[in-house]
Amino acid sequence: MSSRDLGEWTSQLRRGVLELCILQVLRQGASYGYEIVTTLDALGPLAAGENTVYPLLRRLKVDGVLETFMQDSPAGPPRQYYRLTAAGRQRLSALEKEWSAMVKAVDRCMQKGGAS
Amino acid sequence: MSLEHPLAERYLSRLDEQLKDLAPAERREVVDEIRNHIADATRAGKPLDSVLQALGSADELARGYAVELLLHPRAPSSTGKQRTERFLALTGLVVVGSIPTLVIVVVLASVGVSFFGSGLVVFAAGILASVGWLPNEVRMDVAPIWAILLGPLLVAGGALSLAALVWYVRFLARVVRRVLPAPAR
Repeated sequence: MSSRDLGEWTSQLRRGVLELCILQVLRQGASYGYEIVTTLDALGPLAAGENTVYPLLRRLKVDGVLETFMQDSPAGPPRQYYRLTAAGRQRLSALEKEWSAMVKAVDRCMQKGGAS
Repeated sequence: MSLEHPLAERYLSRLDEQLKDLAPAERREVVDEIRNHIADATRAGKPLDSVLQALGSADELARGYAVELLLHPRAPSSTGKQRTERFLALTGLVVVGSIPTLVIVVVLASVGVSFFGSGLVVFAAGILASVGWLPNEVRMDVAPIWAILLGPLLVAGGALSLAALVWYVRFLARVVRRVLPAPAR
């Protein structure tokens, strides 16, 4: 597999998982762009980069999964904060279920592949 | 806060330019958000160069937004406002449409059926009278030739009325379908 193919594969995988992680980060409470990006960054290879996170945040807002509000920041202009909506909390628990089912299936799949 | 760094300002104005397909309010919010990101990151001690590099070029970032917001718009879940509007539209349709619909359907159906049926009878009676087979109990006030001519006219009128009824029902179905919520995909 060429490295270009590998990059595409990971970026597609990441994009789906990124949504789950953004919602998970916001479950702890409202947050703003830079804070979300750095939290995700600290988690490792998941961080798809700012240029994926920011557009996805807007997308989730358009979808009604997140809502925004303005809040003053200690330094500089007011910041746009994101928080989960009721629909967002529903989506988060649906994605969690989906994800753990997926992980189990992939685990089984890898074991089967390894055993033969 | 203005970033006042020409490099950052150039980046943001390029981004703004590339986001021209977004709604103006959305576009402003996006640019403000990226402006805040750059300010936050540089305040945290990161050099501006690496902050901008991590964001990717303004064109790439704008493409990211275009892909998320324009290329694959998901149907937004219907909001309370939309539901209220739909309810009002449906109520309005029932209030304004029900009485006329009742009158139109009753008139078209009865005119259609009775004209069509009596036309056939009149035509048949005309034929019978002209060949002299009409029973004596039946009294005809017009010459048989008129009955033969009038019969098809009545049938045509009835058929026209029934066709109008079908058209009206289809029209009604279209209107109702537009007001009712779209079926879930």
